[in-house]
Amino acid sequence: MLKGNDFPEQPNAGDQNMTFFLDRLTSLFRTKPRLKPAELQAAFRAHYKDFRALLTANNNALELMAEMEQALTAGRSFGMAFVRGNCTALSVNIYKMIHHLTRLADGRYTELDQPFRAITKQLEQVIALRSPSAEGALILTMAEVDASAVDQVGEKMANLGEVRNRLGLRTPDGFVITATASRHFVEADALQVEINRRLKGLDLDNLEELYTVSAGIQNLISNAPLSPELEEAILAHHQQLATDSEDELLVALRSSALGEDSSNVSFAGQYRTQLNVSREFVVQTYREIVASKYKSQAIVYRQQRGYRNLDVHMCVGCLRMVDGAISGVLYSRAPDDPRSPYVIIQAAPGLAATVVDGSGATEQFRVSRTPPHPILHRQSAEELSHSPLALTELQAAELAATGVRLEEHFGTPQDIEWSIDRCGLLYILQSRPLGRPASEGGQDNSSISSHTVPQIRVSIVGRSVRQRGLPAMQQVCGQADDKGDAVPCDPLTLLSGGVCASQGVGCGPVFMVRSNLDLLRFPKGAVLVIETPYPDWASLLNRAVAVVSETGQPAAHLATVAREFGVPAIFGMKQALATLENNSLVTVDATGGKVYAGRIESLLALAPPKPNLMAGSPVYKVLTQALAHITPLNLTDPASPFFRPDGCKTLHDLTRFCHEKAVVEMFTFGERYGFDDKAAKQLVVDAPSQWWVIDLDDGFTPDFDPESRYIDLNHITSAPMQAIWQGMTAFPWAGPPPVSLGGFGSIIFQSTRNPNLDPAVRSAMAAKNYFLISKNFCNLSVRLGYHFALVEANLGKYLTENYVSFQFKGGAADQDRRLLRIQLISEILSEFGFRVEQKVDAMTARIEKKPGTYLLERLKVLGYLLIHTRQIDMIMADQDMAASYHQKIMADLRTLMDKTTPEA
Amino acid sequence: MDQPLKILLIDDEIDFVETTAKRLIRRGYSAKTALTCAEGLETIASGWPEVVVLDVMLPDRDGMDCLREIKEKWPTLPVILLTGHASMEAGLHGLESGASDYCLKPIDLETLVEMIAIAHRESRLPGI
Repeated sequence: MLKGNDFPEQPNAGDQNMTFFLDRLTSLFRTKPRLKPAELQAAFRAHYKDFRALLTANNNALELMAEMEQALTAGRSFGMAFVRGNCTALSVNIYKMIHHLTRLADGRYTELDQPFRAITKQLEQVIALRSPSAEGALILTMAEVDASAVDQVGEKMANLGEVRNRLGLRTPDGFVITATASRHFVEADALQVEINRRLKGLDLDNLEELYTVSAGIQNLISNAPLSPELEEAILAHHQQLATDSEDELLVALRSSALGEDSSNVSFAGQYRTQLNVSREFVVQTYREIVASKYKSQAIVYRQQRGYRNLDVHMCVGCLRMVDGAISGVLYSRAPDDPRSPYVIIQAAPGLAATVVDGSGATEQFRVSRTPPHPILHRQSAEELSHSPLALTELQAAELAATGVRLEEHFGTPQDIEWSIDRCGLLYILQSRPLGRPASEGGQDNSSISSHTVPQIRVSIVGRSVRQRGLPAMQQVCGQADDKGDAVPCDPLTLLSGGVCASQGVGCGPVFMVRSNLDLLRFPKGAVLVIETPYPDWASLLNRAVAVVSETGQPAAHLATVAREFGVPAIFGMKQALATLENNSLVTVDATGGKVYAGRIESLLALAPPKPNLMAGSPVYKVLTQALAHITPLNLTDPASPFFRPDGCKTLHDLTRFCHEKAVVEMFTFGERYGFDDKAAKQLVVDAPSQWWVIDLDDGFTPDFDPESRYIDLNHITSAPMQAIWQGMTAFPWAGPPPVSLGGFGSIIFQSTRNPNLDPAVRSAMAAKNYFLISKNFCNLSVRLGYHFALVEANLGKYLTENYVSFQFKGGAADQDRRLLRIQLISEILSEFGFRVEQKVDAMTARIEKKPGTYLLERLKVLGYLLIHTRQIDMIMADQDMAASYHQKIMADLRTLMDKTTPEA
Repeated sequence: MDQPLKILLIDDEIDFVETTAKRLIRRGYSAKTALTCAEGLETIASGWPEVVVLDVMLPDRDGMDCLREIKEKWPTLPVILLTGHASMEAGLHGLESGASDYCLKPIDLETLVEMIAIAHRESRLPGI
């Protein structure tokens, strides 16, 4: 940056200043690194390596942010380990982005370190506020338990405590033997040391060995003594329960594991639960449940994911048995339809276990979610192998109401175990999120787990529901709608599918945004319909009521921002642009993954439940505070003067900044590097040559003689360069001024030499046009006088690494004419799917993340435009002229596309 | 790959490290394990590994210390840090000390394999 005191205060300061500037400019060009071919290749590869690494870190960071946000809203429990782990992983990835950007930019952007340090320091202070609960009580009574006690009692018992103490629903009396207790147990007498010894060297592929070691360890734990203190505490609490009982007290001991990713449904139901335990067996059963931590499937699961045994604790709930007359399972929604207007009840006589483990005959009901909760469907007698149950309509209604309430409280559809005792009282035994789609659960691609981890209940029951052929939602929805629930009969579904990027329902007129021109016209209250969720569209989210994108994932920038703004969004909704019509009114149900014609009041009335499961708990507060330093996006507009390092206030800003600048740095690689003249091979074409080619890596065929000073097109392997060239040469330049025939080369030659065409020609005489290429990469810079154009493309193996960019600056005509030309180019490029940014007489256009074939077609368009818009600013006097050029160019381009791609 | 990529896992969690090594081998990698920093350094000194996965909690020595020694003696050898206990400070400190990446337990193998592949790819390409 020049400062005022750089200029000496002398009488002729003006002249001197001018000289100073010229010197400065000249020296700038002179000091540009002049690299030999090998050096240039190395530099390019190093940049390219950093670029790819940056993109990877960017994707990781965005996914982590999405995961943290979803934890707040998805109704699941999480501990400090989750918060700390994600903050750490996030800061590591952003550190890497900054590191790679700095290298990409040859040492610039180091000032990003300052906001990064400041933000991570604030984050560290936030997450340091709460240390993990190291020591606590050995036993907590159910009256003391709610979601915030998850670190002591495990998720299962924390949820049950929530049901009892915050919702006031009936659950069995009892207590939880905590994580602290199990830690005491296994650490006494070096039990853990012996367990570790036995696990050492265990071959998980050898199933026999696995089962043997697993059984041995379980046996070891089952026979180990409890400390007197713990045993006394358990028996004392048991005694307390017994004093309230008339008969002999029987309890159920339920495992509630802590320290594993319990949101992963594939692991649910893994550990042991024992029913009808009498006093004399309570302590023994406790030991056996703690031992079930070492069931073979659990060992495999933990080892594959790197969980330390020491960090996984088995908490055990000890609950009074319910003398069940009828018991079963209740889904607050159909497992395969998150918007079903009914609950599903599975019931069997006696205890819930017969339904849960699938051992007994069950009966199924569908009951409306709306009061008075009528039974919509009851399995007919002939479908049953036993006489129908005595579940009354009243009981069914009570169950349905309870299911709806639990879902509202936990913020997500629930899978509930229940029991009605002989006095007719309903008890909730367990409530947990209904099985999520496989894509959201933990994945384990190992061949081991696929045959050792048992099928989970949710999927089994879900399948049986479908197999029994329950009528589809539409057949019952009329009834449901009478009660004002869900969707009216026969709403016109326009689109269905995609992934929910931000929950909720929104209604408004469709407005498709394909280019920046559309962006400016976007009306408040419209539904934003796009092909790709570019971060640039984020500026529309305070005006949009919903977003529908044909592509994209919940981890995309735009999805993060949509969640932050509370704008419902569906991504990956195929055919959205083709199906929807501009200005037509639609209702977007992002939660249900559907777009309906018209306004569906009943859907809009379903305010998305704001789950408060963890709200108020210290961990929830910590995550909320941490996210304030992470997700808000302040840098939405790269053209804004505030789009700079010190404008980064959050980690999201840093990712946005780094990504944007990395792309720019890659686009301008050739710009910043000079090269040794010998590296450049002159392109042999039938014309006075202006074109030089530099191989960065593998852009020339192997049989090309590196000593040769010339190269022809046949020796060029670069697909992007060939495509540009094809576009440049497809049509002779027909526009004014009239030129003599002589092929395209002479046109270029003429245009550079005729001073009437370009007043800047004198300085352009020495300029050459260079292609920097590799097989999949091409950077073409074209300089002619005041004109400057740059095309760059990378067509790699991964879509995330693919792009085409185009920059265009300058012109010799007056500003109005130059603007008309820029406008014309912008419009044409927008029509071909480019994102165009325009500032005065400079423009940039980009396409990213598209397949190679698509990008090659766009390169032909750019090649054509490079040649055919060259001097049109000189003659482009008005809008009519511009319109006529527009027409001609589009006609040519359509011919070009037809010619080269028969399928187009 | 022509020659299987050689990966050294240094971690005292014997069950985890052995399982991971086996699964890497099943995917066509070559893998060895070391339970202590000293053992790990010995294997590295033999010139065998191409990528090192290092737990920051080791019985005989602080993992960060171990990392610094590795990067001092073998600056081009990529090291991925692994830990069961997340700390932002430790994570950033590790990268500043020359680690290629930082990975939190629990991990899945896909993630680890990708990290290893990228760390190795980057170590072979010229830097500036």
